[in-house]
Amino acid sequence: MSTEPAGTIAGAFMKEVPALALQAVGKAFGQVKALNRVDLEAFSGENHFIVGDNGAGKSTTLKILAGIHGADTGNLLIAGRSVTMRDASEARRHGIAVVHQDLALVECLDVATNMALGDIPRRGRFMLDRRRMEAEAADVLADLKIRVASVRTQIGLLSGGERQIVAIARAVRMNLPIMLLDEPTAALGVRETAHVGEILNNLRNAGKAIICISHDLEFVFAHADRISVMRLGNTVATRRRHDTNRDEIIGLITGAIAGTGTELLS
Amino acid sequence: MTLTATPSAEAQKRFFSAESLLRPETTLVAVIVVIGAATALRNPNFLNVGNVTDIARAAVMYFVMACGASLLMIGGGLDFSVGAVFTLGGISAALLMKLGVPFPLAIAGGIIIGIFAGYINSKVIERLHVPPIIATLGTFFIYTGLCVQLTGGQDVVPLPREFQALGQGAVLGVPYVVLYALVVGAIFWFMIERTPFGIEVRAVGGNRKAAIANGIKVNKIDTLLYVMEGGTASLAGVIYAARVGSGQVSAGGSGVTLSVVTAVLIGGVSLLGGLGSITGVAVGALLLSEIDNALIMAAVPPQYNTIVVGFILIAAVAIDHVRRERLYRIRR
Repeated sequence: MSTEPAGTIAGAFMKEVPALALQAVGKAFGQVKALNRVDLEAFSGENHFIVGDNGAGKSTTLKILAGIHGADTGNLLIAGRSVTMRDASEARRHGIAVVHQDLALVECLDVATNMALGDIPRRGRFMLDRRRMEAEAADVLADLKIRVASVRTQIGLLSGGERQIVAIARAVRMNLPIMLLDEPTAALGVRETAHVGEILNNLRNAGKAIICISHDLEFVFAHADRISVMRLGNTVATRRRHDTNRDEIIGLITGAIAGTGTELLS
Repeated sequence: MTLTATPSAEAQKRFFSAESLLRPETTLVAVIVVIGAATALRNPNFLNVGNVTDIARAAVMYFVMACGASLLMIGGGLDFSVGAVFTLGGISAALLMKLGVPFPLAIAGGIIIGIFAGYINSKVIERLHVPPIIATLGTFFIYTGLCVQLTGGQDVVPLPREFQALGQGAVLGVPYVVLYALVVGAIFWFMIERTPFGIEVRAVGGNRKAAIANGIKVNKIDTLLYVMEGGTASLAGVIYAARVGSGQVSAGGSGVTLSVVTAVLIGGVSLLGGLGSITGVAVGALLLSEIDNALIMAAVPPQYNTIVVGFILIAAVAIDHVRRERLYRIRR
């Protein structure tokens, strides 16, 4: 299994290179082994959900994909090419937009500025183009049917749910081929959660590869094309949504059903 | 499906008036006017052109240093070595002139030494993981000792007349030093308010983890901030040397460090980073200088100066806490 090339899994049912793939990735923080062996393939035009218990390694996996942590072992492939990333700006250069679990918003900056962080519109080389920054933010929010009183509102004055939506809107603004989301509905009510699901579906239909961590199995089954289960630092199984059900996924999460690593279809 | 963000119009109106009261400039200008009026009642000479010029001239030394210090503090840093770098910049330029280096080059030399001192500060913090307050306290002692070592404890005199003229001259009654401060202030204001760099500095100071997650190169920004702080401190030192006509070993020291930090805090910059403006700091420096002057003009004993400054400092930081609490509280 450890020598299995990346292409074979996907090749079994579609001739397509994964937009993003992890091969046998391991990661330790000092003595603590956060990831043992993670194998993952995410394709363009799919909502790929990662589920698992607390401490299964979901967020660590996402931080490796986001360029915040480096993997100790294994490979990270983007569109079939092996890459290494030293910081978050490189992830962006490789076409990856991220919605972090802690949202990564700066409380003392306003909505428009937060949405532009890391890619701030300029006039000439050194000047900030505030008008364009605010117009872009307003456009994205309008596209997503999110109403915000003013893009000049400081993030610190928004509620948890509003912040979460702004964080998602920021990732959408980047308009990159791959989008990672870590628990994007954690602070949201039922209506807002459905709205986020709709946004994910629209992005998927636009051909983006969506990778989303979620605890909310109802949300997962409503929007997933593919589900990977992580347990104790391993990816124990990946299933297409139509080929699995809640009971199997819960069994895989808790370990009641033993997974077989990188297999896709039984 | 819509999400309504932010308070209702009514709430926003309330919030707006509270906001303007919390703006440091508003309160500080009011305090300046009150103190000015009270002093002018006791001594009409307070409002003389000559005296107002004196107030401005005394304010600019601290303001130039406070520009670098404000940007640094907005970015989440702190520099206690500023008083020593101030001295170091002045005597380095003076020593170079004594060695026969033309004064424009000597000025550049003094500033470059200060920039280097700031670079060392940033690397001690970054590489050795020493908290900024301790790292720069350590370098404060080191740079202070270095100044004595370089000069043998003696002031460096005499300095060329042309150099002294740069610190002592005036145009249309406005001292050159005030003009330098205006230029430095304008540059820093522009950097903070009108450039992507300024936004990134606020992001690093406002939420460092978020800045990293957004791909901002935080270590590079830290280094730039300490370098600029070293640059403004040594620039102020050079200006001071020109004004007094010598490279003084005792020019700076802990008193200058504390005054600069005080000016920055009174000006509404948050010790915890993210918040603050150059206009606030300019008004803060002016207020400190005004108090100094006013108490003399009103024949108030000098100990009242420090007592008043202490109260204002505490009030400023207490107000900052209120501002931060509104922004950094997690609301559900």
